[in-house]
Amino acid sequence: MQDDAARAAELRPERHQAGAHPEAGTHPEAGAHPYPGTRPYAGIRVIDLTRLYGAYATRLFADLGAEVIRVEPPGGGSDRRLPPATAGALAAGQGGVPFAFLALNKKSVVVDLTTPAGRDILKALVATAAVVVVEPEAEDGLLADILAVPGVRVVTVITPFGLTGPYAGFAASDLVVQALGGIVWLSGEPGKPPLKIAGEQSLFVASLYAAAATAIALWDAETRGAGHVVDVSAQECIAHSLQNAVQVFDLEGRVSTRGGEGTRDATESAFACQDGWVFLAAPLALQASWSGLLAWMKEEGFDGHAALTSAPWQDRPRRTTAAMKAEFKVLIERFLADKTKARCAAEALKRKIVMAPVASIADLGADPQLLFRRFFQTVAMPGIGSEVTIPGAPYRLSEPVWAIDRPAPRLGEHDAEVLGRMNQGHPGRADPAGRASA
Amino acid sequence: MTPDFLAGIRFADFTWAGAGPFSTKIFSDFGAEVLKIEGVARPDPVRVGGPFKDGVFGINRSGYFASRNTGKKSVAINMKNPDSRETLYAIIRQSDIVSNNFGPGAMERLGLGYDDLVRIKPDLIYLSMPMYGEDGPLAGMTGVGMTISAVTGLMAATGYEGEGPLGPGTHFPDHAANPYHAAFAVMAALRHRRATGRGMKIDLSQVESTINCMGLAVVEAAATGREQPRLGNRSPHHAPHGVFPCAGEDSWCAITVLDDRHWQDLCAVMGDEALAADPALKTEAGRLDSVDRVEAAVSAWTRGLSAEAVMAACQARGVPAGVVSTSRRLMQDDPQLRHRDYWQVVDHPEIGPARFTAPPFRLDGERIDLKRPPLIGEHTDSVLADLLGYSPERIASLRATGVLE
Repeated sequence: MQDDAARAAELRPERHQAGAHPEAGTHPEAGAHPYPGTRPYAGIRVIDLTRLYGAYATRLFADLGAEVIRVEPPGGGSDRRLPPATAGALAAGQGGVPFAFLALNKKSVVVDLTTPAGRDILKALVATAAVVVVEPEAEDGLLADILAVPGVRVVTVITPFGLTGPYAGFAASDLVVQALGGIVWLSGEPGKPPLKIAGEQSLFVASLYAAAATAIALWDAETRGAGHVVDVSAQECIAHSLQNAVQVFDLEGRVSTRGGEGTRDATESAFACQDGWVFLAAPLALQASWSGLLAWMKEEGFDGHAALTSAPWQDRPRRTTAAMKAEFKVLIERFLADKTKARCAAEALKRKIVMAPVASIADLGADPQLLFRRFFQTVAMPGIGSEVTIPGAPYRLSEPVWAIDRPAPRLGEHDAEVLGRMNQGHPGRADPAGRASA
Repeated sequence: MTPDFLAGIRFADFTWAGAGPFSTKIFSDFGAEVLKIEGVARPDPVRVGGPFKDGVFGINRSGYFASRNTGKKSVAINMKNPDSRETLYAIIRQSDIVSNNFGPGAMERLGLGYDDLVRIKPDLIYLSMPMYGEDGPLAGMTGVGMTISAVTGLMAATGYEGEGPLGPGTHFPDHAANPYHAAFAVMAALRHRRATGRGMKIDLSQVESTINCMGLAVVEAAATGREQPRLGNRSPHHAPHGVFPCAGEDSWCAITVLDDRHWQDLCAVMGDEALAADPALKTEAGRLDSVDRVEAAVSAWTRGLSAEAVMAACQARGVPAGVVSTSRRLMQDDPQLRHRDYWQVVDHPEIGPARFTAPPFRLDGERIDLKRPPLIGEHTDSVLADLLGYSPERIASLRATGVLE
């Protein structure tokens, strides 16, 4: 019975049901699909064995039409329990906040991979897939089983440090990956500890590189029939994202460090204003911004203007020193002390100064640009809320192919649809009754 | 390996500075022909931004430029010269993708807007990635990568506990969130075109792209009505969780205890039986309540050891820990990156042999070999002759009139 509904659903991959914001319907990517079945990854099945670093990669495919199937152990994948997560949501087969966001548009089946029967089901699933994305546990043998399945596909393996090498078995976390990737060193202030970047960024960075590499490998698999294995290291992904620190050391022998001593202009920082902070960048390289700032100060009769027009402020290297940074901070914060974030933003726009409010998450909902573009969407997230705000598409496409079709799946929600259908397609390959139930 | 997975795909690539060229680099690394259209009189700011080989300025000597433009071809055209349009259109007619990261309206003023180009190339894929999107009241706002951190909540969330916002020390959104969202979108558009014959326009607002990487915080705030205050390196859920001072100047090791077992293992590593037995610290909630005391105990242990020794001791017991690495450690000492051949030497006529990051994955057990970045205008004549069939006389004439630089 559920199979019928599932089959019907399969014929309508373009459907919209998961509570997209009504107003968002005015945007092409949120409207009905005029070319059914032609979303970029329609027809592509992705077997998703990610837990953390790869979770956003598979979501990117799902949002563009791929059928992404999470294969979870009885009791659910560990990512369902990532905090904050309520006991009630977990007991109902849902998940916490990170899961609710990262598993949007995905399906869930329960397979006990510790049993031979479960391994057989996984192999049968892999046989139907064009892409497998996996974060293997050490020595679980999962990868070998996946790679042994005949057929042309892309197998993307995402681990903290890569499949090989002396750190391959290291325990990791977002902070540890950021540290060994070299980006923690670059943030924070001199005299204080190096600082991690907020928001679990190693997850997103690793997933983004993995998604792009997987898409390119899939292109080749489909064009030439050549399967590929992509071995993504989250550490390498972070180390690939260090701005110019690698070349600064290689070519000039200098180690870039937090605070930007010797590299970053005195003006490039967050500064306190009347009701919060603004970020400013007015190095000499951004001449319009610097001259716009000076002109504003002059119009206001600011007494610090004279100091900033003196000779040292025409000296680019000198402007990157700690002394100049300290001097500028005092001056600019005095100038901004009676100005609100909103006033600063308006003046910046008018005067072409590179300056913007430092927004909290709450502020994002009032950002006039994001409101104008109706960026945020609301979706129903079972176990979280009936109308939860999520970021809209990371790219606005002129073809209506990006959509949130369904909330993160309940544990095993698609057992009957996926495993039942598979079993019919592959008689005798796997016995759904033989799998462990949730 | 030098993959040709994307052979036959051509970009007319107008991107410059950081995020744009990083988006198209992965395509040239995989065998697409990326024609970097650039001016000489008004060059890519990264070409003049350094670092330079031995600190000596030169338009072809920037390591930053080199790292973002491996394998591309450089075609030097003055886009502001109206006579350049015919040549640009001829290139675009033979391209699959046109890419740019100028502000809104800039491409339109050059006659290179999507609506102009789709008339001459109906199945065009067009990537634009202005900071705040194509339209809207702040579309004209100018900014750098750190501006994107500021307006997306990333900067506000990144900072020390009880102090003001700092944000990432780099223009972080330029180096992963935006280029690889863009690359993924272009690959999706190529696959869509193959299935339907239709191109598409990709309007990638770098702010909107980056907010997706803040998605966990957005959803948490929506779900709970609260957002996490700045916590430095601490976690609201786990303790100890931080970077700890080690022996030597400005030397640090990250240690993250993610569950109660990690805590017992860390206590064993530290040889601190009293701490392990302390009932108040056996649970996450208890350790969070006593986070200052917990961190003081860990710091007292780490101060006497090198960061490498702390990492090794923790990892031997399965406790997540890692040295806070500098660029020097990454390039000279990290045994993992060395083992995986992460650093690649690319020879360059003006820079000489220099080291670059390989794409951050191994493919079929091998590294992607980088091809060297182009000198400015290096491929102007060959592209015009071979791709467009222009005669030497016509090329000379375009150069004389200032279309070619």
